[in-house]
This record gives sequence, structure tokens and C-alpha cells, in this order.
Amino acid sequence: MLTVEHVWRSFGAVSAVRDVSFVLPRGQTLGLLGPNGAGKTTTMRMILGIYAPDRGSVRWRSAPIDETTRKRLGYLPEERGLYGRLRVREQIVYFARLHGVRAAAARAAAEHWMQLLDIAAYADRPCSELSKGNQQKVQLACAAAHEPELLILDEPFSGLDPVNAQIVLGAIETLRRNGATLVLSSHQMWQIESACDRFCIIAGGEVRAAGTLAELRAAVPERLVRIAPDGPAARRVLERFGPPAPGCNGDLDYRLPASSDFAALLSELVAVAPITHFEPIPPSLASIYLRAIGSADNEASVP
Amino acid sequence: MNDFGLVFGAEFTRKLRSRAFIAGTIAGMVSIAILVLAPELFARTLRTSSSSIVLAGPPALRARAAGLLSGRYEIVAQVDTARAPLTAAGLDRFGKAAAAVVLGYEPRRLRVDVYARDLSQVGDGVAESLAPLQLALATGTDAAGVARLTAADLHAHPVDSRFVNANAAEIAHGIAFGLIFVLYLSIIITSQSVMASVAEEKTSRIAEVLVAAISPTRLLAGKILAAGTLGLGQIAIWGLTGAVLAPLGLSGFVTLSAGGAHPQLLLVAPATLAIFLTSFVLGFVQFATLYAAAASLISRTEDLGSVATPVILPVVGAFFLAQYAAVAPNAPLSVVASFVPFVAPFVMFTRSAITDVPPFELIVSLAINLAAALFCFDLAGKVYRVGLLMYGKLPSLRQVAAAVRSR
Repeated sequence: MLTVEHVWRSFGAVSAVRDVSFVLPRGQTLGLLGPNGAGKTTTMRMILGIYAPDRGSVRWRSAPIDETTRKRLGYLPEERGLYGRLRVREQIVYFARLHGVRAAAARAAAEHWMQLLDIAAYADRPCSELSKGNQQKVQLACAAAHEPELLILDEPFSGLDPVNAQIVLGAIETLRRNGATLVLSSHQMWQIESACDRFCIIAGGEVRAAGTLAELRAAVPERLVRIAPDGPAARRVLERFGPPAPGCNGDLDYRLPASSDFAALLSELVAVAPITHFEPIPPSLASIYLRAIGSADNEASVP
Repeated sequence: MNDFGLVFGAEFTRKLRSRAFIAGTIAGMVSIAILVLAPELFARTLRTSSSSIVLAGPPALRARAAGLLSGRYEIVAQVDTARAPLTAAGLDRFGKAAAAVVLGYEPRRLRVDVYARDLSQVGDGVAESLAPLQLALATGTDAAGVARLTAADLHAHPVDSRFVNANAAEIAHGIAFGLIFVLYLSIIITSQSVMASVAEEKTSRIAEVLVAAISPTRLLAGKILAAGTLGLGQIAIWGLTGAVLAPLGLSGFVTLSAGGAHPQLLLVAPATLAIFLTSFVLGFVQFATLYAAAASLISRTEDLGSVATPVILPVVGAFFLAQYAAVAPNAPLSVVASFVPFVAPFVMFTRSAITDVPPFELIVSLAINLAAALFCFDLAGKVYRVGLLMYGKLPSLRQVAAAVRSR
């Protein structure tokens, strides 16, 4: 289990991370979300032991992050780089070996990851000759080839075209199936929503929300309800429960308290109008995120 | 293999394959070749162009004058007075000789007429060389008598010098100069290769992945050791180049300890070699750590020049101080400089190569500079550790100090 307990970190007068805490059970995937400058990268660097927290502690499998622990961690930073003149295979082998993998096993891992990420054809090419997307896949291979117990991926999908993004998503799924514990940071909400078991939303260096998607949803005090067709009788019933929201495709959207009796509402609607569609929509990760970081105006337009 | 060994191996291989290393090694070999061969080539050119003469005059006088002139001039031909070349075209017939020296008798004195392309190259030297002959004619003394009259009974006694004669001391200066040049070249090239390597990892953002896997200190140590090992390899290649070419050069390496100057041998005194290698290691560690720390602060390759200039000046300054020490090895400035970190590796080596430095001075200098090298490594390691993760505008020294403290 990854345990981040009340960590603080400042740089001079700037307080980058303030009292951040969360836990991540082994084998699960955490989505670490937040706007730019929220403190995500600093938090990740503290998990990796690159920065020491000013206060608080980070533990992996109950042990503090030290030289030995770091060998079992993997990292794909947001700002990426490769040795331009090194060949793809050599690059992956080198990083695997830096994490303590023996030479033969490192070579085998490199072959496996090049196949998985569809870059085997470039194995003997210098990395500087690869396209940006392929370079990113090499970087992911470098981060994962030593089969880390905990892998931290900062914006793994940024800059990838849809095909390559799907390949990377597939590789992440493979890692999850193999039992790796993952921390993902991404602004691609739809990808991260399906790829993660738990979420931690940070803004201004502080945790604004944390938990599974169900837990995060449960904390949202209202639900969006979509009804069709539109009609004055249905509107009169709905307005007794809550305010209207901007609709789409001629449907009626209303924001109702999460505690509303939706079964009773449906009965009333059916009694007064020919209802063909009734759907309480659970809050999406994007709307939870926007609500958590305080962008209420934007959140209103996102289901 | 541990982290350190992996970094060392990877750095070593990358640098060995790099064009910069190959070009630097070849450039160094060419420089050494020029340094070794240039004096001989220069001297030979001067001899053939300005010291070849045609000697003319009565045979008996020519015979006596030839012995006196041959030490300084190459006599390309001896002819009768009537056949003496008195014009440039005439000189050209004798392999473009520089001058014709025409001898003649006058009552109790020698008459010498010089027909030269450039009188400044020949005139006075001929008069000086022929002075004993003039004395012999004026006094009626034979050659042996003149030699007795003109040669002082000289006994040379070297004081405060390991060299038994001027020739050996002169050659030691030549070797010292050559080795200072090699030391300067090696330290500059190897330190800059460390700087380039750090800058590459910083600007390409690999550094963050690397420090997540291994300690920055071991990363830095692996880099420095790899560059230092290659630097020593370069020195070996350059030394071999010098050794192979030395017999062809006038100022070839010689055995100094034997007391004589024997240009057929290609040996540098073992003590000189040991101090040279120690100086390289200490100087390299001091400068390379400084260069690495500076390079870790840049975010863009374009900023490399801004941080390289301040750190290159101490090397150049140390090189010039070494030149001064070669002229005045026991002057107060030379003695003090041989203890000062960054400068001492150059100055102490220079002094030790050309004069007898007291052992305690060597030991104290070694201790100070070893401590300085360790201090530099420690300080550079701290800057490197924080610098690798600092991006954006080039930080000020105050910002770097604050970052080091907050680490």
C-alpha cells in the first residue's frame, strides 16, 4: 500500500504541497488530478523520493522511500527526454538495468515492451530519429521495463494521437492486470476515469476530494436528471423538485438533490405525461473535478 | 553491476563513440606533433634559409676559417676568391645560399667581405666567429695559443638544481612546457565533456528519470570517473604520440636523472610523471565538478555559454600562472600559487618539473588540493542535485543557495 501522510513541501516562500494525504492499496490505480501548478508533480516527486517532504511521510509497503525502495518504483515524468544518440533497445535496457535488472532479463524486458508498444521495428534506430509519439512510447517502456511495483505516470497520454493513446492505454491495462500499482496524472478525463480505481483531486497544493468514483459521486449533493419528451406538465412536476439545467437535443435536464425520491418522481411524471426517457445521470469525473477545484460555472455545463 | 558501474560504463561508451572525443583526441595528437616537431622544423628552415654560406678566399685561410664558422653556419661550398658569388643570382647557384664570405689578408689583420641577402642574419655572427683568427694573425700566435688565450678555465657548479648542466635544465623546461600544455588541454576537454553530458541530460529532461532511479551523487561520480578515465586514455595516446615523434624533434624527451641530455631516450622522470598524473586527477576533479554544477543550472542549450564563461576563466588563469612559474619557480607568487586550489595542480607540477620542490610543500599542496577536490565534489553534488530539477530562467547564485538549503 502507498501511504502519503500529511506531506508538506515548500520552495522558498512558495508552498507547493500542503497537508496532502491519501492511501492507495496495492494493485490499484490512482488518478491524481488537478490543474496546472496544483502540486501534482511535487507530490509525485515526493513519492519517488526525489524531494524529501518538509513535513509528513511517504511509505510504500510500510517502508519509507529509500534507495532500495526506489529500485522498485517506476516513473514517467510529464517533461520527457531520451538520449538522442542511444538506440531504442539500448535505452530501454539501460533504464531497466539502472533499476537493478540483470543484463539478460533487461534485454528480454526490452523486447517484450517494444512488442507491446508496437515499436519493435525501431529497436536499432537512434531515438532522435523517432517521431514524438514513438519517443513517448519508448519512454513508457523505459519506465516500466523493470516491472515496478509502483509506477507513476505523469500525463502519459499528452501529445499522443488517438491510435498511440489507445496503445498506451492498452499497456496500462496490461500493467493493471499484472498487479502493478499505478499513479496516473492526466487531463484526459474520459481516459483516466476508465483506467483508475481511485482518485485524488488536488488544487492549490491541497487535497480537495479523494476516494473511489462511487465515493466521490456520493459526496456530490445533486443529480442531473434527463427526461424526454419535453412538455409543460412534466416541467410543472420537475420544478417542485429542483431547478432546470441546460438541456440537450430537446430533452429536459434538471438538477435535483441527490436525496430525491427518484421512483416517486418517475411515478408522478408518468401519471401526467407520456414519458419515454427518464435518466438520473451520475456525476461524471469531469464535473466532480470541476466542482472540487472550484470551477462551478464550468461544472454546470458538464454532466 | 551497481548503479555507479552502470553509469560509468554507459558514460564511457557514449563518450568514446562521440565525435567530440574522437575529434579532441586527434586535435590533441596534432597539437603534440606540432609542439614536438615545430622547433626542429623551424630551426632546420632557419638553417637552410639564413645560415648557409659560401666561403671564398685563399685555401690556407679558408681551412682555418671553416673550422671557426662551421659551429654557427652551414658551409655549402668553398671556392677561390675569383669564383666568389657576389650577387643574388650567384648565391642561387649554391643552393640559394644566404651569403658569400670572402676572406683576404691585409697587413697583420684579416679582411672579411660579406655579400648577403640579409646582412642582419650574417654580418655580426661572422665577425664574432672569426675573432680568434684575427687574433692569431695580429699576434702571430698559432691556433692552440689562441685557444689558450681566449678560453677561460670554466667549472660549472649547479646550485639548487637537479640538473647538472644548462642543457639538461633547458630540456627539462621544454618537457615541463609540453606537459603543462597537455595538462591544460586534458583538463579543459574532459571537464567540458562532463559539462556537455550534464547539459544534455538536463535540457533533454532525462535527468528527472535518472534521479528517480539512482542517487544524483552516484550519477555525478559515474560521469566524472568515466570522463576522467577517458582523459587519462587521451593523455596516454598523446604521450605515445610525443614519444614516437620526439626522436625526430630537436627538443625530444631525455633522461634527466642521468645528468646528461641524451635525446635518443624517450623517458620522463617517474617522479615527474607521478606528479603530472596526480595533478591531472586533482585538477580535473576540481574543475569537472564546477562545470557539472554549472551545467545542471541551465534549462536550454543556449544558456550553456553563460555558465561556461565564468568557469573557464580559472583554467586559463591557472595556465598562465604555470607559465610564470616555469620562468620563476621559486618566486613568492609561484610558491603561494602552488597551494591554491584550482591553480596548484598546474603550478606545483610546473615547479616540480623544473626545480627541487621541498617534500613538505608537495605533501601540503597535495593535502590541500585533495581536500578541495572532495569539497568541490560535495558542493557540486548539492548544486547538481537541486539544479537538475530547476527549470526556467537561469537562477541566481542566491536562488541556488536557497534551493540547496531547502533540499
